[in-house]
Amino acid sequence: MATAKMKFRRGMDFRRAILPYLYLVPAFAVMSVITFYPLIYQVIISFTDFQTKDLRFGLASPELNFIGFKNYTDILTGGLPVQNFNFTRVLVYNFWWAITNVMVHVPAGVLIAVLLNTPGLWFKKVYRAIYILPVVIPPLVVAVVWQNIFHETNGAMNQFLTTVSQWFGATDPVRIRWLTEYTPPIPWLLPTGPLTLAYYAMMIANFWLGWPFMTVVATGALQSIPKDLYEAASIDGASGPQQFWNITVPLLRPAMIPAAVYGFITSFNLFAFVFFMTNGGPARSTEILVTFAYDLVRNLRLYGAAAAFSVFIFIVALIVFLVTNKITRATESYT
Amino acid sequence: MASVTFRNVYKRFGDVIAVNNLNIAVDDKEFLVLVGPSGCGKTTALRCLAGLEEISDGEILIGDRVVNDVAPKDRDIAMVFQSYALYPHLSVYDNMAFGLKLRKVPKDEIKRRVNEAADILGIRDLLDRKPRQLSGGQRQRVAVGRAIVREPKVFLFDEPLSNLDAKLRVAMRAEISKLHQRLKTTFIYVTHDQIEAMTMATRIAVINKGVLQQLDTPQNLYDRPNNLFVAGFIGSPAMNFFPGRLRKDGDKLLVDTGDFSVAIPAKYAKPYESHVGKEIIFGIRPENIHDSEFIPPNVDVEKVAVKVDVTELMGNEIFLYLVSGKNTFVARVDPRSKLRLGQQAQVAFDMDSIHIFDAATEEAIR
Repeated sequence: MATAKMKFRRGMDFRRAILPYLYLVPAFAVMSVITFYPLIYQVIISFTDFQTKDLRFGLASPELNFIGFKNYTDILTGGLPVQNFNFTRVLVYNFWWAITNVMVHVPAGVLIAVLLNTPGLWFKKVYRAIYILPVVIPPLVVAVVWQNIFHETNGAMNQFLTTVSQWFGATDPVRIRWLTEYTPPIPWLLPTGPLTLAYYAMMIANFWLGWPFMTVVATGALQSIPKDLYEAASIDGASGPQQFWNITVPLLRPAMIPAAVYGFITSFNLFAFVFFMTNGGPARSTEILVTFAYDLVRNLRLYGAAAAFSVFIFIVALIVFLVTNKITRATESYT
Repeated sequence: MASVTFRNVYKRFGDVIAVNNLNIAVDDKEFLVLVGPSGCGKTTALRCLAGLEEISDGEILIGDRVVNDVAPKDRDIAMVFQSYALYPHLSVYDNMAFGLKLRKVPKDEIKRRVNEAADILGIRDLLDRKPRQLSGGQRQRVAVGRAIVREPKVFLFDEPLSNLDAKLRVAMRAEISKLHQRLKTTFIYVTHDQIEAMTMATRIAVINKGVLQQLDTPQNLYDRPNNLFVAGFIGSPAMNFFPGRLRKDGDKLLVDTGDFSVAIPAKYAKPYESHVGKEIIFGIRPENIHDSEFIPPNVDVEKVAVKVDVTELMGNEIFLYLVSGKNTFVARVDPRSKLRLGQQAQVAFDMDSIHIFDAATEEAIR
């Protein structure tokens, strides 16, 4: 009798223990097919000289050679059959691109949020509806539109600058080669590589794309700062700017740091925008890691090298993730 | 050290008049409590004084200076908020030092003042903590400390104890009183709790619907309320009111409530003569209604027949909820009283401590 009861209970325990795993099975099944399988496959081919001719049989292809870390060393030492390729330069540029974007978007987003949060401002809700627009427009559309804006002869930017310069007496139309000029306007700014005009043009375009998200986050965070803190500060003797630096900024920090991390990772891997606006040009000066990896496959058919490239990106993303995760944990909410 | 004067102060929010022609002169070193039900305008009045709200009309003076157009930081005041409003990202020390740093007080001086305030409040060992690591009572102390270090002319308190539990509230009440004696500065304190007002204030301003009802010492407010509102607001349990009429019966002046009549002693009758035949409201505090068996000596009493509805034993006293006709009222009687639920009995009204109000104006008849 007692043993039967024990058996029954043991059965219950077993069922209870296995239940959560049963619930996980469907999700894992889907993820295995669309995430884990390609991931592992990619890591494997990064150690091969996988090319177009191997596509038919995949890993079973008779012509497929395992070449160890050759793809990796080729990438690091510039051994790829690509002109003017320098991995460090692309990596540094990619970091620079992501960091400078975040450094512009976050302060601008906060500033705009603070301005739009002014009590008594008219049509607040209208502004908030409008500035969410860039967040929902596909980067492809944004890139194509901005590419046209920066067109050398017909672009809106040069036409605008022409009009402005005419106010000051100039007669010649402005013909800045925004996306094709290779000579960097400020040569010393990034020692590892040229920061061409295209970079600045992309910064402008991506600013349009990037600040609204930061403003959305900052607006939410601003509204959660209790009003009486400002009142206490004003009695304590803090002027408007002092209140901004001593109350607003520190209390926005817990919300803005994760947003900045998100912004960094988004900019770091902003494939569609870069690909469609400059395609990495001129002369690969605005190429980022993901567009480069894509180029290796699309134009050079170097599947193995591209796979190794992706592994590098993965490692970089992982490091960024781990570091920022540590930072964000260190700055958890104050309350 | 400064006096504070409200002179014909109005504050309107659109059509709502939050503060209506407020006139208060607070003396230097006084502990003035603004008390009233929630929404009566007492906090608004305090915020006007702090400079957090602009007044619509009138003048506010701190000392001899009109401060209508003076920024909060230049009014030489410090305020303790209901929510404490501590800066969550700063340590206790930095919270207290914040105002001094902004005023460019030398570092040594800041340290001296913060440590001194921390000693007064017993928070010396908390100086490195963040507000979230503190209990409610400790946060309260830090908020007070932040005010003390500024050494302002006037301290403002906006319901500082309402977020504390009952026991802590009583303890902090005593501490704030002590602080006032120690600092010898003008305190202006807003609360909805009449017990806080009674226990701490040198004078109380009772406010209702934006209008000052009475400004007086706690004892005077209790003994001689100007009107029905003050009489009902100050004291717990509240004063009992009986609508009725003044009637002459021979030489005697009677309060006739319809259910019972009590005679006003001849020595007090004079001011009421003019109201004979008119509607009045008769008021008597619960402690002035006695069990007939335990009447204190030397009081003029009038007996009233009642039915005991509820009894609440407090240990040192008993609250009797009594019914007489359409009137229900409370008596606070001697704990030896044998009156029990449902009993018919006679209670004694102490006629030396009665209040009579004009039913139309609700003003005390004197």
